[in-house]
Amino acid sequence: MSKNTRNTAFRKVDVDQYGEEVYEEDQTADEGATGPSDAEVQSMLAKGRNGDALQYVLTNAPLTSKNQGVKDKAAQTVLKVLMSLKANEIEGSLKGLDQAKQDTLMKYIYRGFENPSEGSSAQLLVWHDKLFAATGVGSIVRVLTDRKRV
Amino acid sequence: MSTTLQPYLKAVRQTLTAAICVENFSSQVVERHNKPEVEVRTSKELLLTPVTISRNDKEKVLIEGSINSLRISIAIKQADEIEKILCHKFMRFMMMRAENFIILRRKPVEGYDISFLVTNFHTEQMFKHKLVDFIIHFMEEIDKEISEMKLAVNSRARISAEEFLKRF
Repeated sequence: MSKNTRNTAFRKVDVDQYGEEVYEEDQTADEGATGPSDAEVQSMLAKGRNGDALQYVLTNAPLTSKNQGVKDKAAQTVLKVLMSLKANEIEGSLKGLDQAKQDTLMKYIYRGFENPSEGSSAQLLVWHDKLFAATGVGSIVRVLTDRKRV
Repeated sequence: MSTTLQPYLKAVRQTLTAAICVENFSSQVVERHNKPEVEVRTSKELLLTPVTISRNDKEKVLIEGSINSLRISIAIKQADEIEKILCHKFMRFMMMRAENFIILRRKPVEGYDISFLVTNFHTEQMFKHKLVDFIIHFMEEIDKEISEMKLAVNSRARISAEEFLKRF
């Protein structure tokens, strides 16, 4: 049949995509997840309510959003909050987090490591250490396996 | 600066302990084949999120996991030209003998100086905690060895220059 038409384009078709068990990334994207509002975070940090700022950014983390820009902006905001907390305040703020928020925080810590700036890595290492003491290896495994990237 | 070394190695150790959980998984694409999925990267569902741990902008570790294999890439601190050359030569020396190292990769991942590939076959033959210990020990020793080599190069250069110039 193909020899008649001399059309060999059929060879370029990727037949694997038509198989029944092809894995597709979760298509459900939540367009409403816009992440934490920068102004809100700024006001909380200015008032010195660092623990509250942390809770706020973790609750409003844009995990389901497909927009990379939203995620980048949220990551920067979280990094700002993490840098603002002093070493002795970290433990206190970790106490108030439930497991989901702890996992989200771990994701943001690793995200922060990807863009090291002046002194940020040292602070993030302290955060990593304290959070690991609270959660153990489980949260790292959840960061590695969770499809909802931060 | 050196105060971040221990927390850095600790964080790398913890992340490695989590990521080194690999199990046997034959290739889904080619029958009767068994390939390290982190290298092949054909099936997205088998790959884990890659994580980076950095000590500063020059030193970092990239850990990419998958169901049956783990790739660890290390960027080593190179402060000046001579350290760059020494590091490059040293890494090249080791990578040429990657077969004897078992877990070493022959080419480093783009942007890093040296890479390791640990598969489920390695973890079946060797203790996981020992593999992690080895990598952490490697990271600690590399910096020391490169400094030592730099000192050796400098002192040799000084001695040979002295000897040569004695004639004049």
